[in-house]
Amino acid sequence: MLNEDRIILMTHMASYEAHEGKKNVKVGNYFRGDYIGFQVLNSIISATIAFVIVFGMFIFYDFEVFMQDIYKMDLLEFAREVLTAYLVVTGGYVVITYIVYWRRYNKVKKSLKRYYSNLKKLSGIYEK
Amino acid sequence: MTKLLVAKEYLKNFYSKYEIYLWPVCKFIFAFAALIMINNKIGYMHRIESLAIVLVVALMCSFLPVGCVVVFSGVFVLLHLYTLSMECAIVAFMLMLVMMLLYFRFAPGDLVILLLTPMAFVLKIPYIMPLAMGLVGTPASVISVGCGTILYFFLNFINENNTTINAMEDEITAKFRYLIDGLIDNKAMVVTVAAFAVTLIIVYLIRRLSIDHSWTIAMVAGSLVNVMMLLIGDLMYDTNVSIIGIMVGSIISLLLAKVLQFFIFSVDYSRTERVQFEDDEYYYYVKAVPKLSVATPAKTVKKINTQKNQSTVNKTMPRTVNTVNSAARARTESTQSSGASHGAGASHGTGAAASRTVGAASAGSKSAGTVRTVNTVNNVANRTPQHGGERSSLNHKD
Repeated sequence: MLNEDRIILMTHMASYEAHEGKKNVKVGNYFRGDYIGFQVLNSIISATIAFVIVFGMFIFYDFEVFMQDIYKMDLLEFAREVLTAYLVVTGGYVVITYIVYWRRYNKVKKSLKRYYSNLKKLSGIYEK
Repeated sequence: MTKLLVAKEYLKNFYSKYEIYLWPVCKFIFAFAALIMINNKIGYMHRIESLAIVLVVALMCSFLPVGCVVVFSGVFVLLHLYTLSMECAIVAFMLMLVMMLLYFRFAPGDLVILLLTPMAFVLKIPYIMPLAMGLVGTPASVISVGCGTILYFFLNFINENNTTINAMEDEITAKFRYLIDGLIDNKAMVVTVAAFAVTLIIVYLIRRLSIDHSWTIAMVAGSLVNVMMLLIGDLMYDTNVSIIGIMVGSIISLLLAKVLQFFIFSVDYSRTERVQFEDDEYYYYVKAVPKLSVATPAKTVKKINTQKNQSTVNKTMPRTVNTVNSAARARTESTQSSGASHGAGASHGTGAAASRTVGAASAGSKSAGTVRTVNTVNNVANRTPQHGGERSSLNHKD
């Protein structure tokens, strides 16, 4: 005998597993700290590469002037300015990353909780 | 309106039925259109301009994820720019890389917008992007649309100044500076990015309001703000935009946004219900707007069978027809036999039901309704046990 409730529930769950569930289960395998930490580390790497690209373009833009001034300028001061800019950019990017992935993790956990509760419900229907 | 809704339902049913074939076809068309546009707009490398290469790449894209269309388009752009000048390719690659690293890492799904925005610019309807993304996206889509706009203006700058770039043969630094200046000091680009950002946010905010026709109000308000900002930008920074182009593009974009609304958000505000209730913790003020939907009319084909066709029915649905025959004969038998009045009544009923069923079954429909009817007949037939023995003998006579 077909049980309509069971079929509807199973269809919903199968659809979830096939789409967002795949990604969510992967995220759900992490602890919150590990997941966010991993993403923050990725962000630091990404921000560093992006900063190097932009800085390289900035230097190359006025390369002749830069080469002329390099002996006159205070290199330590210049390095401090560059480092400050790097820390500000990376710091800002890390904060944004933290907020985005913290919210995303909470959302995934909530969604997985619903999925597991549906699993329980399904198992209950089978036991009836 | 009803006809449009019915057409929409047909389209939805058609898509859900053939999704497995239609989705690769859509990706193929998208990739093909994107590559053709790139080749037409910045076709410097003639080797990859050939239709065969475009078709092969588009065909590959149809079996790969949508993001691959963007990647292949990026590769095509870089190859064309490399043919023009290595510096152009390097700057474009750096630009794309920074975009990928800083934003599209968060939202890889938005990668398509990076390609759709320049495509909309080429089609002269870029104003659809902030409207559409404001309607279906989030405020974060501002970055995707902005990145697409920047990319388009950069490629457009290269395309318009290719002779100047070619003239600077060995002056690598000068060429580099020229390209960066073209990227940063592009007033039209800055104005467009700002206008699109404001439009998108306004559309997003208005369409989320709990007012009737919020989507329509949002897109009209967004279009007006967009036009105003572009015109003010033109006055302030002399961006040399075409006023007629903006007007016509905005109207077409508005119409396209309306089509998008029809497919995504069609509701009937005349049947809006406002309910109020409470539980232990909250008071609820709920506004429920019913969706506009119609059922697609089921086509029924009625065939009037000749004797010859009747034999076809006998072949295809032997059980049903046997039941009819048996039921009809049962009536005859029971009328003839004395003391079987109860059986005759039951059989009569069966015969009537069975005749109706033959009409449905012979219509050749494969719908569930038909199947259900057939089952009913069988069930009814099963309730007339006195004819079970007769059925075989009577059929044998046929």
